[in-house]
Amino acid sequence: MVTLTIDDKQVSVEKDATIYDAAKAAGVNIPILCHDKKLKPFGACRMCLVEVEQMKGRLIPACTTPVTEGMIVRSSTPPVEKARKLVLELLMLNHPLDCPVCDKGGDCELQNLAYDHKVNSNRLADEKFHHEIDYNNPLIERDQNRCVLCGKCVRICDEIVARGALTFISRGIETTIGTEFDGPLSCEFCGSCISVCPVGALLARPFKFKSRFWAMTKKKSVCGYCGTGCNVTLGVKDNKVLTTVYDENQGFHNGQLCVRGRFGYQFISSDKRLKTPLIRKNDQLVEAGWDEALALVAERLKGAGSAAAALATPRMTNEELVLLKQLMTQQVGSQNIDHSAGYGHAAVSEGLGKSLGVAASSATILDIQKSDLILAIKTDVYETHPVVGFEINMAVKNKGIKLQIISDKRGKLSRLPGANLLLNKPGSDVALLNAVAKVLLDENLAVTPATPELAAALNDFTPEKVAELTGVAADAIRDLARAYAAAEKAIILFTSGLAYPGADAQLAHAAANLAILGGKLGKEGSGILALQEKNNSQGALDVGFVPGQGGLDAQQILAGCSAGSIKTLLIAGENPVVSYPAQAQVKKALDAVEFLVVADLFLTETAQMADVVLPVCSYAEKAGTFTATDRRVQKISAAIPAVGQSKPEFQVYGELISLLGGQPAATQAEAFAQIAAYAGISYAELGEGGAFAAVKLQPVQVVPKVVTVAVDAGKFALLTGAALYHCGTMSLYGEGTVSVCGEAYVEISRNDAAKMNISEGAEVKLTSSTGTVSVKARISPRMSEGVAFAPYHFAEASINTVWSGAAVTGVTISK
Amino acid sequence: MPNPFTPIMQGMKITLGHVFKKPVTLMYPDERPKVAERFRGLHALKVSHNKAKCVACYLCPTVCPAKCITVEAGEDANHDKFAAKYEIDMLRCIFCGYCVEACPVDALKMTGEFELANYRREDFVFTKERLLEKK
Repeated sequence: MVTLTIDDKQVSVEKDATIYDAAKAAGVNIPILCHDKKLKPFGACRMCLVEVEQMKGRLIPACTTPVTEGMIVRSSTPPVEKARKLVLELLMLNHPLDCPVCDKGGDCELQNLAYDHKVNSNRLADEKFHHEIDYNNPLIERDQNRCVLCGKCVRICDEIVARGALTFISRGIETTIGTEFDGPLSCEFCGSCISVCPVGALLARPFKFKSRFWAMTKKKSVCGYCGTGCNVTLGVKDNKVLTTVYDENQGFHNGQLCVRGRFGYQFISSDKRLKTPLIRKNDQLVEAGWDEALALVAERLKGAGSAAAALATPRMTNEELVLLKQLMTQQVGSQNIDHSAGYGHAAVSEGLGKSLGVAASSATILDIQKSDLILAIKTDVYETHPVVGFEINMAVKNKGIKLQIISDKRGKLSRLPGANLLLNKPGSDVALLNAVAKVLLDENLAVTPATPELAAALNDFTPEKVAELTGVAADAIRDLARAYAAAEKAIILFTSGLAYPGADAQLAHAAANLAILGGKLGKEGSGILALQEKNNSQGALDVGFVPGQGGLDAQQILAGCSAGSIKTLLIAGENPVVSYPAQAQVKKALDAVEFLVVADLFLTETAQMADVVLPVCSYAEKAGTFTATDRRVQKISAAIPAVGQSKPEFQVYGELISLLGGQPAATQAEAFAQIAAYAGISYAELGEGGAFAAVKLQPVQVVPKVVTVAVDAGKFALLTGAALYHCGTMSLYGEGTVSVCGEAYVEISRNDAAKMNISEGAEVKLTSSTGTVSVKARISPRMSEGVAFAPYHFAEASINTVWSGAAVTGVTISK
Repeated sequence: MPNPFTPIMQGMKITLGHVFKKPVTLMYPDERPKVAERFRGLHALKVSHNKAKCVACYLCPTVCPAKCITVEAGEDANHDKFAAKYEIDMLRCIFCGYCVEACPVDALKMTGEFELANYRREDFVFTKERLLEKK
């Protein structure tokens, strides 16, 4: 610790702190434009000049000067104020004074500083800039005339997002922030650059001219897309969510968001939201009242027993899941409840459930930065959980943490410095992990001895044998095992969810075995982190929204619908027609079931087939808790009133329970108290940032079953997954994300494209044994020859017409 | 004993004095009042180059103490900001003139128009078309 004096206040800070950090700790405000606490010091704006007793004769920039013992700093002496005023005058010299039409007005740091320092005239005169404004991007508008060259956008894109889409170009007075070859912005549109821009040079187009900053109420919430559990601030005006607002002090991620979180909010206040309940009469869905609709549903559910079933989306709050589970198991008497098509949660519920003794990840997202080695399996975290990707990037770049990747396709993760990618053939992940475990045993690197069963089972997985199967060199497998064993702390990441049929229980077993053998469990910076797809996937498991004793899982429920044994099906928020595999079978099942109730925000493809549609609320309109993938329980509260007549599901299922003679929990807190996994957490005391639910590990070595997937010669190995811009099917109602990724596509390698003479954007036909679908081709350097990747979100040209749940599907691609 | 006629005479004197003064009563509506230049009556949106000067900066609804101004900004073909909707609810307006004072582009003024009576509540909401300055 270093002690120094700032404006007569003594303060002790870490020795790597800057004067600016120290001033902040001392509660002294130093004006600055080019600083963000996530970014490294840069010293571009020269606003933070201070006087230092020991360095008399010149002014010192506070943000780039490290503290020294006994330093005496004065932050606002007349020479300092004079210098700052000059800096502002120089900035304002070229900055257009178009605050009335600039969306940043009211939230603009330059505006605030000009006001604070009373810069209302300028001693100098110069011409304003006349750069061309880039209006072409649907999400990010770039107006270089307003730029003050603080470089924050350049740095956040490089240091955190690792995209490097923006940089300084030209020199001197002509310096601007430019793109690759000064062309259109080509990036992933996360909008981080907009969030840190101190002026109106970078603006969110979807929010353009919608409201002034001060006219909005800022409501804190938790993002409703993926399982990362990022905190968001919603900008609300006239009961509508107009934008997301950046707050650098929010959440573990310091306000950093991905494209979905920042730009995919439009679904909340969408015109397409269902406003009233709908009941099918004469084969038409007609508007009805809540009483009528709920009475009808209650009548059908009454005494239905195991002829009723429920599929829920893990986007519901924990409390809603508690009530729905109570409704089904106690009032209706059915154990047929499930979510995420069953297989979507198997990696955690069954895989980690058996291997770790608890259906949850042992590590948290915070462990990533505390680790020594990150092993990412079958995942491009940047694409599925972008904010976790940012954490990995910072871990690798700032802390030198090693990154090992096992994947069937390349990705942004494998482009990080020092990343070591083991590119395996699709469907051979478990074998590869087994081979790594085998090396651990053979080379006596294992900390925990293997059980005889596991040791015997691993005998078949010598690196040489597996090398042949996976296409990964035996030495690379050995090196990976050695690196994993050598690291004091190591964290294993994999993705689980609807989109990842390959990440199943066996993969989780194999990964857990590695952690157990390597002794990488139960300590900080180590363990296993399953990145789950939806915002409350972990919560659904903690609540136990899985088939009860003798109950059917999601696939069996759908089969039961087709066979006629399930007569009433309640689908809460899921959209199986698009998101579950084998569309034809799902449609058949939903057609066959006698009575289909769908509770959703929109008239989805599934809701269109329903007998009763119940309009329910989005996360911005309700209270409750979400559990992020690392078991961080976070509370949300309503930011806007319910849209139309829609009701929070908590209320809907509560009313149904009452109609069936039961006693629902009256408040969210009461329902929360019923969740055994969260014993010790009080609903009332959950604050910002939430609380981690305890994970008690009882590791067991489970022998993973290895199923090798063979794709016929001449066919492509089709992998399904999630696109960066979408999460499930809900983001298709968020116009921001749709504007940059609105159509189904298939990614193929350059070589394959050249061979088949397919050009970028050309329509291609995918044909599998179950069907055909036409999608646009994307030629991507990240794909290997013979491997194709297609995201599953899109209802038009839905990939589940050719994909029936297999980890790898053999398809032919034709023009 | 005071003269009982004195107060009457004094009164008559005042009355007689008024007979020769200019009348105060205005025979409205046959006669029109002369409105002072700085009178704060109905608002008008100033027009320049055949379009409203207003750039929809939202400062007038922000400063308005009666919350009677509704502005919605739009983006025109040149990507410029303009008021797609500009409404003043005259039933709420207190004619304080803060909106005019706040306007950074001098797009709003208050006219001498004071005859704002109407039959229906809706008619008191002045839309952008009604507010545009008549040349």
